[in-house]
Amino acid sequence: MRAPASLPFLAALAFANAGCSRPAEPQASVQEVPVTSIPGHESLAEDTSRKVEPRLLPQEALIRSYLTIFGDLSPLAMQARLRTGSTALFDTWTDYLGALGVPNYEADTPRTGQTNALMLAAFERIGVALCDKAAAADLGKTAAPLAQRKVFRFEVPTAPMSEAEFGVRFDSLHRTFLSYPVALAPADRTPRFFALYKDVLARHGAAPSSAFTATPTQAAWAAVCYGLVRHPEFHLY
Amino acid sequence: MLRDDRRGFLKLFGAGALGALAGNPLTHALAAEPTAATDDFFVFVHCAGGWDVTLWSDPRTEATNIVDPPSTEFVDADALRLWEDATLDANAKTFAPIVRGNLRFGPAIGDLAAFADRLTLVNGVAMNTVSHPDGTAYAATGRHLAGGRSVASSADVCLADALGTSQLFPSVSFRYPSAYVGSMHDPRALPLRVDAVGTIARSLARANTTTNAADRDAVNVLLSQEALALRAASHGTTAANGYAVQVETLRKMFGGSLGPLFDVTALKAANFSAATYAGRFQGATAVNVSFAIEAMKRNLVRSVALTCGGFDTHGTNYRTHGQNLQETFDLIAGLLRAIDQAPHPTRLGAKLADHVHVLVTSDFCRTPGINATGGRDHYPNNTALIISPKFLGGTTFGSTRTSDLLPQNAGTFSDGVRPVGPPDVLATLLQAAGVDPRRYLRDGDVVRALLRST
Repeated sequence: MRAPASLPFLAALAFANAGCSRPAEPQASVQEVPVTSIPGHESLAEDTSRKVEPRLLPQEALIRSYLTIFGDLSPLAMQARLRTGSTALFDTWTDYLGALGVPNYEADTPRTGQTNALMLAAFERIGVALCDKAAAADLGKTAAPLAQRKVFRFEVPTAPMSEAEFGVRFDSLHRTFLSYPVALAPADRTPRFFALYKDVLARHGAAPSSAFTATPTQAAWAAVCYGLVRHPEFHLY
Repeated sequence: MLRDDRRGFLKLFGAGALGALAGNPLTHALAAEPTAATDDFFVFVHCAGGWDVTLWSDPRTEATNIVDPPSTEFVDADALRLWEDATLDANAKTFAPIVRGNLRFGPAIGDLAAFADRLTLVNGVAMNTVSHPDGTAYAATGRHLAGGRSVASSADVCLADALGTSQLFPSVSFRYPSAYVGSMHDPRALPLRVDAVGTIARSLARANTTTNAADRDAVNVLLSQEALALRAASHGTTAANGYAVQVETLRKMFGGSLGPLFDVTALKAANFSAATYAGRFQGATAVNVSFAIEAMKRNLVRSVALTCGGFDTHGTNYRTHGQNLQETFDLIAGLLRAIDQAPHPTRLGAKLADHVHVLVTSDFCRTPGINATGGRDHYPNNTALIISPKFLGGTTFGSTRTSDLLPQNAGTFSDGVRPVGPPDVLATLLQAAGVDPRRYLRDGDVVRALLRST
């Protein structure tokens, strides 16, 4: 004996109707427990290591960072500032675009996705110009008031600094350039930069005052600035 | 059954084709696997604008059909050292061809005539174009442009990719039509494109007002350490490791052995005379050639490619076209003299010249007839000059018709009887370097007749 053809349809309709009219049940709440209390998770280590290779930031992002950090200026205004007084520090942005690996659509040149020695040389030339001008503006003889400083937003004591005193000021620069506290960086970073600071300070202290236009302190902080604005973490992400 | 028959037929057909190709002295033998020349160097020179082959590689001294040979009426013959008058007509003189061994040259060959036994001339190269961008790309890549773009990588990039990725600068390109196309190459083969050595020098210039070289070197030491620390903490190590190596390279570029390599003044003091660097046409190029020599001596590059300009002479500027050629070939002769005297940087007792391959090309050649303004226009014929220890020196391959300077069939290639073309020249160069041409080139046969048998 065969069932009527409409029977499955009617059964489905009745089931659906029953589902729609069923009253809502209260949601069962899930208690939060520490992950270590779950069996098998007592000693589970969290893997926080990078899962991808560091990559080079787009060159435009680097140039935008320069413009923002060192004064929030337009490219032409920054160029004019870097060439004020002498053209030996900086040429023009256009002169560096090829070395930095910016794509040239006119010449069909693709973006350079990896660093090379000439690119690092261009980074250095730009970094030196930016830091020298910033050190002169913030730490020079006619230094801006603390609230108006762009990079070196701290007072520099005249007496020699301890590593701890250096560390407080270095942390300010580290947050500016690398966007995180130096306490989260590898432990030897601060001692390494402090050694650089002392090295430059000593070299300039021993040199005749006429050898440089900058004070030894200014030169030492400029060198620290070079190290941060050219840091691999500044260029790679 | 049908499938088995078809497979058998294909096997037989393939074997037959292989045998036919292998038996052809002109084309490549598929069975022969090239041995890579991993410590050889490559210099590419492109004469931008289209050169007049009748003044040097394919000399014409008789007026026939549409051919107007170079004459004192349109050429400043006094400036060409090898020009010796020969009768043309009542109003003008032409030149007496210069014969060196098996080769015949025009007077613009200059100092390069002394190296005739090392020169390989490929004449009658069919360009199939009279457009500068297309001819330039075709000569460098073996492919015509598509939509205005290169569709294949140039030979300098291919060789840098195959043989040069461990070099500090695998491919340096001084305004050469270098093309890096696609994603199949190592990123390190991307050519370092610069206008001139002076451009690099400007990137290395520093003002010593706030800090000095010792301060900046200390920063570089620190950055190298920081990059190595980053490498140790990274999942992938290539980028951070490359950064550390490049910082160390930068330190060398600022001083030590690499300093003079990027110093224009130091480069001008080496390799060539002051007169060469002051040359009217190729004085600036001489600095780039000097860089190439010094970079090869130091084993820093795999290929250096450069452009010599000023050959597009449609009007009265054609009068000095020969001088431009002469300066260019004098420069190449100077390059040969320099590498003859230099030892190979890694092969003990070997001469650098025994491991340097030079390819000189142009967009195309100039018309055989003089135009209404006393110049020559674009013409779809060309010459390629090769100077390589792997090529037969003192040899000419290919030819042009006497009546109109158009390429003649050079033999039977894998796609039939035709003139030689740029892809054939590039394929033969890659084969000579031990690189399988099929890895990089879509077209082109290896012309075995140009290669030494060893």
